[in-house]
Amino acid sequence: MRPGGPLADLRMVELAGEQGQWCGRLLADLGADVVKVEPPGGAPERRVGPWYRDEPHPDRSLSFWHYNSGKRAITVDIESAEGAAVLRRLVAGADVFLEARPPGRLAALGLGPDELRGADPRLIYCSLTPFGQDGPWRDFQTTDLVQLAAGGQMAQCGYDEEDDPDAPPIAPGGGNAWHIGCHFALVAISAAIVYRDMSGEGQHLDVSIHEACSLTTESAIPTYFSTGRVVRRQTGRHSAWSMPRPRTQYLCKDGTYINAMFNQRISPERVRIFAEWMDEYGAADDLLDERYRDAQVVEESQEHIADVLHAFFPQITAEEACRGAQERGLPWGAVRSVDEILADPHWEDRGYWVDVEHPELDDSFRYPGIWGLYSDSPLAITRRAPLVGEHTAEVLAEIGLDAGEIESLREGGAI
Amino acid sequence: MSPEQSRRSPGSGARALEGVRVVDLSWVRAGPWGTRILGTLGAEVIKVEWPAHGSVHHNDRYTNTGRPEHIEPNLNNSHWFSEKNVNKRSVTLNLRNPRGRELLKRLIAVSDVVIENFTSRVMQRWELGYEQLREIKPDIIYVSLSALGHTGRDHPFRTYGPSAQALSGMTFLSGLPGEPPAGWGWSYLDDTGGIYGAIAVMTALHHRHMTGRGQHVDLSQVGSGIALSGAAILDATVNGRAMRREGFPPGNRTHWPGTPLLDNYRGPMVAPHNAYRTAPGGYNDWCAIVCRDDEQWRALIGVMGDPEWARAPRFAENDSRIEHQEELDRQIEAWTQGLEKYELAERCQAAGVPAMPVQSNEDRVRRDPQLRHREMFTELPHAGLGPMGYQNLPFRGSAIETSSRRAAPLIGEHNREVLCGLLGLSEQELGEGYRDDSIWPENLPVEPYLEAEAAAGSGASS
Repeated sequence: MRPGGPLADLRMVELAGEQGQWCGRLLADLGADVVKVEPPGGAPERRVGPWYRDEPHPDRSLSFWHYNSGKRAITVDIESAEGAAVLRRLVAGADVFLEARPPGRLAALGLGPDELRGADPRLIYCSLTPFGQDGPWRDFQTTDLVQLAAGGQMAQCGYDEEDDPDAPPIAPGGGNAWHIGCHFALVAISAAIVYRDMSGEGQHLDVSIHEACSLTTESAIPTYFSTGRVVRRQTGRHSAWSMPRPRTQYLCKDGTYINAMFNQRISPERVRIFAEWMDEYGAADDLLDERYRDAQVVEESQEHIADVLHAFFPQITAEEACRGAQERGLPWGAVRSVDEILADPHWEDRGYWVDVEHPELDDSFRYPGIWGLYSDSPLAITRRAPLVGEHTAEVLAEIGLDAGEIESLREGGAI
Repeated sequence: MSPEQSRRSPGSGARALEGVRVVDLSWVRAGPWGTRILGTLGAEVIKVEWPAHGSVHHNDRYTNTGRPEHIEPNLNNSHWFSEKNVNKRSVTLNLRNPRGRELLKRLIAVSDVVIENFTSRVMQRWELGYEQLREIKPDIIYVSLSALGHTGRDHPFRTYGPSAQALSGMTFLSGLPGEPPAGWGWSYLDDTGGIYGAIAVMTALHHRHMTGRGQHVDLSQVGSGIALSGAAILDATVNGRAMRREGFPPGNRTHWPGTPLLDNYRGPMVAPHNAYRTAPGGYNDWCAIVCRDDEQWRALIGVMGDPEWARAPRFAENDSRIEHQEELDRQIEAWTQGLEKYELAERCQAAGVPAMPVQSNEDRVRRDPQLRHREMFTELPHAGLGPMGYQNLPFRGSAIETSSRRAAPLIGEHNREVLCGLLGLSEQELGEGYRDDSIWPENLPVEPYLEAEAAAGSGASS
């Protein structure tokens, strides 16, 4: 067994694209040997920016770097019979096969779950697709944005009507429909690994990004089941069907924001704590008044409390607000951008950043991140993302092809 | 396709985590969401609660989100609580009471996993840190799920989902340029944190199968969130580019017209890429449409009925469409406003153009034919709530079930089963726990279904 993460004994083949590459990356972090299969010339996700020094190049996509670090890559034309045979051999030596092709596409090439699992019943064959392997929307085209529309994210994110009556529902950026789908693909794969440990049996997993997104909307669905109500968007806070909750996001002195959420059950003790803090700035208004010792009065004064906070926060910066709150046990946080996160020494303390070597550029760059500290099987980013076809010869040799076979595949255009 | 794949259950009744016992000390959202996943996959999740007035578990069961207004709240009738605690057992133990804590230790000694989402030093204060847990059960898997983790200078930070999102950079990703962040309309990082908790448990189980060793997995919700901005982080560490800049975030677009032409970390830079109003103009009558390339754009022109404006040279190529998005989006919306959102999406899809309606919670339950076909929802009985809809896991396995099978437990429902059946307490010892503040709070009336066991050995029962 290789040293490393909890899945260090496992081999995985990824044929996934932009919607599935994060799942492969997380499996690589967890120690699995992940081989990414790309078409000759490289995968389409290599053509997504931003770019190293802003110059487009298939080996210099920063998005690709992030989502594919720790993997090896081979180029294979799986549409050709020879290429399909290579993929079949590669998967035969693997524990997990993650694919994100349109439903039925791989079966048409003789690479479907029945064929590959027939050859190896221990294989975990995970299909990650926009809507799953069946159903009326099975063949619909999607992107990250349209998944967030269908999945319910957009209906819950946006602005209070009084803040911006014309604002559309907002889809948060960053590719989070793909993240959500990949997180549940990893849940499915992890469960199948444990099941196989106990039973010896692999299986076919059919993961739907749409279902994953729909499930990842917290109280929205239970709210509908129990009340029949539609939730409404609110600036910087939870969507809700009930009366508008007080705002939670306040502008600070430096032009950035603090998220200072409190709810109707906030205790009089807590109100006193932040009132004393605000009083240091002469901004407590009447909140130190005796009557706010009464929980009922506090509950009825939520809007007023929010107004006092609104007047207070512009006196201090968002970081001062965040630290001041945390020192007082208040669960509030600055609305940070990547700029502030990179400057925060806490993450350095935790060993969160990894400086990844890029020998092809004779440089190294700081990546996120060690997302979990496993005491007996530490996570790692073992290498930068692969260059196009970087490991083709190495991986084919591992699965038993000799130099002549590799050369004839290359001449035939299959690799 | 074989028939077994057409259902959410393969029919074998097999569950992936059968035989795995989880002591669940978690509360509010992130932890319970993780153990909900484990429970649905077949783990025996024992939720340890303490229902004294004012305690977190008491409040958690009173969560009012989604409770119909005419129903008087009690410990057993929050659907919100029930939905996030399906497939679990409930045991009440007072962890501030030595006898309650002793019972917890006995439970841990016969379990595989301990999971909690308290702030970073709570377990140590209870003398239940990883070192102590190992003494109780040498191969225990301990997953802690806190805001910033158990190490690092700011480990004591406490957060809710929204403030965790703020600290992770997730909030900042969402909104229109020049306006306050729109953020996320739910606790995205509580859901995500819980998912990582479930992944940590299952991957650590595999490691234990291979090595015989348990471990502590120290997760940080905020850290999990930061990694979701990887491309933006590399743009900063490699290119020195600041995220606080003109035109970021770009609303639903990949680029905001009139601002510097930079990548905004939402996939390929294309236009159109937006949400458009649809008929009849209601609150959620919107449809998202994207053309990933010129070919899809030409297909969309066909769907729109080949209008003359769309044939202007400035819209022919992607780069030029990005530059002229204001006019492009205005023209597209003039067309979409005449169509209902599902019909619009279907027409686009028939031509190969990615488009989907913005779906509300009601839409997904009532109108979405795909979720219905795939049996995403299931109805379960519950003694406090009656029959109600619940969500299943978003995948199917050909060998394992992925549907929710039991609504949340009533408070203390499994006290006898777990404390007597598993730990071997006598009926009398169980009854004593109801009187010495270790199994039930002194000041709280005993629920009717617990009265018999609470009375055991008191003389009243003899």
